[in-house]
Amino acid sequence: MAAPPLAIVVWLFFVPFLSSAHLSFLRDGQWSLQNYALVWRLYKIDVLYTLGISLLSLALVIGIAALVCGYIRIVGHRAVEFLFKVPLFVPFVVVGHGMRVLLAPRGTLNSALAQVGVVDLSDPPSVAFTWIGIVISLVWKNLALAVLLVLGAYRAVDEPFLEAARNMGASTFRQIRDILLPMSAPSLVVASAFMFTSMLASFSIPLMIGGGEPPHMLMVDVYYRINYQDDLGTANALGMVSYLFAMGVAGYYLRTITARPL
Amino acid sequence: MFTRLALRMAATVLVTFVIFAPLSSLVLWSFTRRWSWPHPFPQELALFYWRKVLEGDLFRALQSGFLIAVIVTAATLVLTVPLAYLLARYPVPFKAVILLVFLLPHAFPQLPVFVNTTTLLYRVNLAASFSGVVLIHMVGALVYAVWTMTAVFRSIPESLEEAAWNLGASRLKTFLTVALPLATPGLVASTLLVFLYSLDEFTGTLLVGSPFVLTLPVYMYRTSVGYELQVASIAALVLMLPGLVLLVVLERHLKSEYLSMFGRL
Repeated sequence: MAAPPLAIVVWLFFVPFLSSAHLSFLRDGQWSLQNYALVWRLYKIDVLYTLGISLLSLALVIGIAALVCGYIRIVGHRAVEFLFKVPLFVPFVVVGHGMRVLLAPRGTLNSALAQVGVVDLSDPPSVAFTWIGIVISLVWKNLALAVLLVLGAYRAVDEPFLEAARNMGASTFRQIRDILLPMSAPSLVVASAFMFTSMLASFSIPLMIGGGEPPHMLMVDVYYRINYQDDLGTANALGMVSYLFAMGVAGYYLRTITARPL
Repeated sequence: MFTRLALRMAATVLVTFVIFAPLSSLVLWSFTRRWSWPHPFPQELALFYWRKVLEGDLFRALQSGFLIAVIVTAATLVLTVPLAYLLARYPVPFKAVILLVFLLPHAFPQLPVFVNTTTLLYRVNLAASFSGVVLIHMVGALVYAVWTMTAVFRSIPESLEEAAWNLGASRLKTFLTVALPLATPGLVASTLLVFLYSLDEFTGTLLVGSPFVLTLPVYMYRTSVGYELQVASIAALVLMLPGLVLLVVLERHLKSEYLSMFGRL
């Protein structure tokens, strides 16, 4: 009974995954490390760029979610809670396009801001097609999931802890910082690990809103390497770099969930 | 008291703006007939592009994407429900290995793997075909369904099934008359999300389907980078609709375990 689904996933994911590793060590049919040398020479900035964007987006997402969820948990705000769930089901390509239209030099945001005189239309600033655009889009999309996960963790914290803190005169912020955050730290770590990999592996958003000039995010590099250079070896070596990071995150994740008493 | 109310209002307005700014831009562009820079608003609003687009390629992309999603969902449901039940209830041999295989696509970047899947599918003549796209969607759909549906079956108390066995019901009858009805709400939620996953899938479709199979996300991507802004915006709105409907319907029941997968569309 397990056979057909297992066969599909092994055939179309596990085998290609192994062949990806295999091909990354081949150049012109010979075993070689040339692909990796090329990755080092051409793409080391891109690797750092990808890590930087992912880490910054993750920090912003978790930071905002920690505060917003604290507010929702302690004070309560149905409308805000619902609104934050909206991006959950907005596909990445739609986010990419929406942000292009909004943030481009001639986008709707500049257009609107010019009406109140904040932006000079003869020299409009561009947020799309830069790393800032990618960060904004990733944060916007991932906030929904983060809010859902963090709010779940916050709601699992028993009310008496918060009541005690309130009786001692703790502000909302102090309740978040000193009670909610420390008590839901393990869930936050799991959520972060998960989102970090998905940001690292994000493809359509940087493809649509990233700049035309390098540096690109890793997945975009892989795609361009295949599409424009038809160079499977280097593309797979780049892929291997991304697997290594994912593996590191997965290891961290497994250690955290197995260390936690069930 | 008054300041608190004002603060709440301000929070709602701010969040509404942040969430709807990119989405409302799409709505504005979709009704734009002419908008030349640096005019603050479109000079001419019309249904022109909606009419034009809904009769053309967009409709075809929607149609094939919908058909793919229906096939993927049906096949996933048939293949996964028995497996998920087995995994949840019985000591299946190599269970850890099986679960690990179903965890992999979740834990690793998909794009570089799917690049190699595409090569593989070319070798067996399935790339750039309808069945190829169905197959690549099946990977993500199966992984998602196995995890959520196993969780659904695990959440049903085993004692109910034990009672049925004690009364002489066979394993199959127990499954069909006790476990399955109890699991139905969870299975329906999971199925809806599998459908949405397939409808929204981009990476695999772009790699495997190109250039012959066009689904709505790929169509939207092409038109957007080709600066056909009205067409792309309409496609984006159409693409977003099923998800928003689902959000409104399922909002109360959204649990994180159902949704972690949606970080990756």
